[in-house]
Amino acid sequence: MRFMFKTDYEDDIKLFPHGGYIVTYGILLAFLAVAPFVLSSYLVSQMVFVFIYATVGVGLMILTGFTGQASLGHAAFLAIGAYTAAYLQQYNVPFPVYFLVAGVLTGVVGAMVGFPALRLQGIYLVIATISFAFIIEEILARWESVTHGNEGMRVKALQFLGTTVSRDSPSFYFLCLAVLALTIVGTLNLLRSPTGRAFVAIRDSETAARSMGVNVSLYKVKSFAISAAITGFAGVLFAHKLSFISPEMFTLQLSIEFIIVILIGGAFSPHGAVLGAIFIVMIDPFLTYLKDDVPGMIAAVAAAFGAGAEMAAKIQSNVAAFASANGLKGAIYGVIIVLFVLFEPLGLYGRWLKIKLFFQLFPLYKRATFKRQKIYVKSERNR
Amino acid sequence: MSKSFKALGLAVGALALTHLPAAAQTKVTNEGISATEIVIGTHQDLSGPIKVWGVPVSNGMKMAVEEINAAGGIHGRKIKLILEDSGYDPKRAVLASQKMIERDKIFAMVGPMGSPTVLASQDVLFDAGVLQLFPLTAAEFTFKFDPAKPQERLKFNNLLPYVESTRAAVKYMIETKNFKKPCILHQDDEYGKNVLDGFTQQVAAMKLTPASVTSYKRGVSDFSAQVAKMKADGCDMVLLGTVIRETIGAMGEAKKLGWDVTFLGATPTNVLEVPALGKETVEGLYAASGFEIPYEDTAKGKVKDWLANYKKMFGTDANTQAIIGYNTVTTFAHYANKAGKDLTGQKMLDALESGDKFQDIFNSPPTVFSKTNHLATTVTQVQQVKNGRWVLVKEGLMF
Repeated sequence: MRFMFKTDYEDDIKLFPHGGYIVTYGILLAFLAVAPFVLSSYLVSQMVFVFIYATVGVGLMILTGFTGQASLGHAAFLAIGAYTAAYLQQYNVPFPVYFLVAGVLTGVVGAMVGFPALRLQGIYLVIATISFAFIIEEILARWESVTHGNEGMRVKALQFLGTTVSRDSPSFYFLCLAVLALTIVGTLNLLRSPTGRAFVAIRDSETAARSMGVNVSLYKVKSFAISAAITGFAGVLFAHKLSFISPEMFTLQLSIEFIIVILIGGAFSPHGAVLGAIFIVMIDPFLTYLKDDVPGMIAAVAAAFGAGAEMAAKIQSNVAAFASANGLKGAIYGVIIVLFVLFEPLGLYGRWLKIKLFFQLFPLYKRATFKRQKIYVKSERNR
Repeated sequence: MSKSFKALGLAVGALALTHLPAAAQTKVTNEGISATEIVIGTHQDLSGPIKVWGVPVSNGMKMAVEEINAAGGIHGRKIKLILEDSGYDPKRAVLASQKMIERDKIFAMVGPMGSPTVLASQDVLFDAGVLQLFPLTAAEFTFKFDPAKPQERLKFNNLLPYVESTRAAVKYMIETKNFKKPCILHQDDEYGKNVLDGFTQQVAAMKLTPASVTSYKRGVSDFSAQVAKMKADGCDMVLLGTVIRETIGAMGEAKKLGWDVTFLGATPTNVLEVPALGKETVEGLYAASGFEIPYEDTAKGKVKDWLANYKKMFGTDANTQAIIGYNTVTTFAHYANKAGKDLTGQKMLDALESGDKFQDIFNSPPTVFSKTNHLATTVTQVQQVKNGRWVLVKEGLMF
């Protein structure tokens, strides 16, 4: 087991606490760098969606995971980013400009949502963000001169430095990867700054934070703005990836997907956003793969155990019928989420940390290590 | 004119001619065609908000595939249908399309479901040279194409578009019944917008003004405000840009108010579920439609057998959606057959654009495409609910 002695404040805020991090992230980066050239475009496309979802996840994590403010309105922030890009693109605004404008505008809207949300807590805040999302959906459908209403808008391929970056090209993949990487590094930096610490203080106890001199209102609004801006950036990429946007794509369902991203991944670290995004994007292709290939495999296993050809064929067709039943995906999805909420509230990344620690401390691992120590101020108990 | 000048003119002309056709070359894939099989793909909403369409449509498609294969296939090649669930999510539709192109190597995408899903994934298909045939959305982008973009020639649609069918039906109703104050209640989405466009265009063309325009959000079940407003505005005909439940809800509300007004539904109201669930509430409802809905006890010949087979295969009665799904595959098979024994992508495209007529077993208007027109038909019928059944009022309507 590795012991880390921190002798300096700098040690405490290092992004890479020890050399092992550099090696593992180096390997990951090398893999990501060659991936678009060796993997099929189907897989690359999935990875692009993972990057976009993970970017939104990190944004939502700043708000929900670190500031403790739940939001079911992030689909609306994504929509604002996407529509800003689509609208400005019509007037031949260059990509870097509309990319930035989309982020900034979404951030401003986020701050505007943050103000009325100051007075709201818990479930009431969730309701407020849902209504905000509905308002945005309604505006998108009504403001036809800008958004083309329910007809939706086509988004042309991205133009950058005089070249066309098609949505399935490696360049677009690297753009999304870069946005995600910058978002994560920026978030990590933010979290080790006074602003980030104020966010965490507000999450853990608003009263305690206030008594320590944290301007709760200011930081809540900041958190909303930053979270929204990141989602706005992701919205631009989302619009380009799908090449078509319409109001019915940015529904409550999408906001719930984003919450699931950080719930499944683990809401306390950007790792969680990436793992959650991998889960939510890739579970579907994975289940498709199961549907296509597993019945054949099971039949082969059955044949190997002495089942006749007819029996094997029957098993195959039965398994195939079960695997392609409508709604099976929804059911599997639901069960996984329920299991996570019940048994692993820290998400996939939390599970990974526990497994790691288990082997590091073997045989002295204690489950209580990860128990959250939080003693509520009396007035906060019922929130 | 000097000889050398003429020669120069000829040379320039020849150069121009050789460059013209090169720009309009469409790339069509030959993947998915083997000696024994043709692989086609589709993505349907089997678990999302419009699964009442996705499930019967995919049933109809499966049935067509089985029938064609049982009859020996297309020039000896069996059709293999790859079906994926998109859940009406454009992201999943894009991924499903890429999967079908790369892993399953489909030759054509037949009957994919929904506007956002089809539009988000269509460039994936065109880039790979895969035909997008007969998607289940009546939006313009599924058949209008830009001749300057050769890959757009890969799209064909055989569904009656909402705008055109609405215009034809509204025109017929206003002309025959002499309505003066037409109104509309439409769903607040892309479908409802299409119906509204058709309505406003036709009403303007007939020099009338809409007396009232009302809308509702998808999923609501209370229409009292909209119906009361239309009644107060003195409407004499109400166009319904609604689906099933809303059609029944709006007409029920009018009955409750004791308001006797003529209702005309857009094509999605022309399904069996409306009279089956609405009973006497929807009695007298007119609707625009593409073809006559067959009933088991009055159907004859092929249609009767088809209804019985469908019920045997899936345990439920066939509906309009199933017929539309069935037709997507049979239409594909018709043109693939015509393309000949040594089927290629280019031959398939030529066959589709040849102007050859396809007539389905349900007596729909014939399907014809050409090099410039990739929309099968705009011929509309008007039907009416009488004694709980859809009855043909007038066919062969245009605007």
